[in-house]
Amino acid sequence: MSSLEWSVVVILALVLVAWYLSYNAARLDRLHARAEGTLAALDAQLVRRAEATLELANSGAVDAASALILASAASESLAASEFADADAAAQRFGPDRGSVESDLTEALDRVLTPEVVADIRDNGDAFDDVALERVRATGQRVQLARRFHNDAVVDVRAVRRKRAVRLFRLAGHAAMPQTVDFDDALPTGVRG
Amino acid sequence: MRIGIVCPYSFDIPGGVQFHVRDLAEVLIQRGHEISVLAPADDDTPLPPYVVSAGRAIPVRYNGSVARLNFGPMTNARVNGWLDRGRFDLIHIHEPITPSVGSLALWAAECPIVATFHTSNLRSRAMQVSYPFFRPSLEKILGRIAVSEDARRTVTTHFGGEPVVIPNGVFVERFASAEIRPEWQGTPERPTIAFLGRMGEPRKGMPVLAAALPEILRAVPGLRVLVAGPGDPADVTAGMEAQAARACEFLGPVSDADKASLLRSVDLYIAPNTGGESFGIILIEAMAAGVAVLASDIPAFVRVLDGGRAGATFANEDAADLARQVVALVQDPQARAAIAAAGRARADVFDWDVVVDQILLVYETVVEGAEASRSVTGPPRGVRRLRRSSRSMP
Repeated sequence: MSSLEWSVVVILALVLVAWYLSYNAARLDRLHARAEGTLAALDAQLVRRAEATLELANSGAVDAASALILASAASESLAASEFADADAAAQRFGPDRGSVESDLTEALDRVLTPEVVADIRDNGDAFDDVALERVRATGQRVQLARRFHNDAVVDVRAVRRKRAVRLFRLAGHAAMPQTVDFDDALPTGVRG
Repeated sequence: MRIGIVCPYSFDIPGGVQFHVRDLAEVLIQRGHEISVLAPADDDTPLPPYVVSAGRAIPVRYNGSVARLNFGPMTNARVNGWLDRGRFDLIHIHEPITPSVGSLALWAAECPIVATFHTSNLRSRAMQVSYPFFRPSLEKILGRIAVSEDARRTVTTHFGGEPVVIPNGVFVERFASAEIRPEWQGTPERPTIAFLGRMGEPRKGMPVLAAALPEILRAVPGLRVLVAGPGDPADVTAGMEAQAARACEFLGPVSDADKASLLRSVDLYIAPNTGGESFGIILIEAMAAGVAVLASDIPAFVRVLDGGRAGATFANEDAADLARQVVALVQDPQARAAIAAAGRARADVFDWDVVVDQILLVYETVVEGAEASRSVTGPPRGVRRLRRSSRSMP
């Protein structure tokens, strides 16, 4: 081949490599945005769950001791969320936050036994029913939001493992997203 | 919400995914959402008002069976036009890895995407070949749903992540209040059992039932077997003893209303399917109609029957066990009534009213996550332009 032909081949190869890299950079960018969005949504759902729990605690639907347990676990969760907001977005979900949310899940599970739930549904007023339903619905949303976030994280991490992505540092300074793990089971009393 | 639903299979022929999409669209419209369904269909196929045709489907061999799919530049243009005109808050794609309108919509859509995976028998060789190609577009799915435990496992194995399991829905009330037909009702001397499905397809289990029939008739000589579904009766009765052949009554393909009436009228519904079922919606329809169910113990059926609490099971492909159980149940009306009652309660879990709530919850969670990622600082304009061009690449 002549040198002209060679240079055409080299230029084509360079264009191809450049396209591949920028394509993956854009893909990563989209994936990071998705993971951040799902994390923000999870955070919002957790706040709603804590607020719904506080509401139930204050509604008089459960006894005073149960109300105190719920209120304390819920306010821990709300405090953890506020603290996280001040922090960098990537640090939003440390292991401490996970254990606080697991604690709230546990408190709800201990208080909302099938007997207590049946009692609220039979004897409580309309407001109690609404408060209980909100706790159940927000709990379900937390489950979905956590799952969708972890799906997003799995996708980002798969792309970031690629050799080209690591070699050319296509992820830039973006922190490696982490899956979020905590107990988000619904209280036994309200499970379908 | 403005929701676009994409169905990869042609509306010209009936099928599980098509029915699911149609029912979902109708329930969502009832709940006050704006729905548009995009699906392949012939020009002269009558379509419900909410369905937009993506053009004629072509029969293609894919993933081990012939499916009527839709692809090519014309289809691609129709998909893009539908997305542009729809201005959807969210699109819900069914079977996104089927090479049809679903994968085209997945490439082109810029709005939040939810996807439902129906199949559990993906051929892994096909997946390995197409995976690198499908992968980047699958990353755009914000919420993944699997219709069954088996489908969930397939998705987790091939793509990672944890889809939410939301079962197929059934209009329980339509079956529970179906008209009882005296000609299909059993009497103590002449009890009736029903089989539904393609009798020529061995995995639907007609051969197992045929093999069990002589034994059953020895104990219950008056038994009538009502067989509904497409196929040639001669294939079934060929080689059968005369008495067994006489016990079978072939109804041919039945309408939805007749199917419900049949299930509600007979004494026992038999599902002898030998495998390849991911879900078993017909079992739920039978439970909703209030008939006792006797099904093979394949994993999908056992799950639908709540581990055997909502229906009886027999050892898969074991004609002797099937015969034993049929005889026992036909001769014991009380046991049958107990099974039917448990099944009726179980069916409520799959009622569309319950199922659509779960689906809407997914929609809302996904839209919220999408709004949050949009508010995260967007990429520089060059990247955005690049992204657009890379998206229209294949």
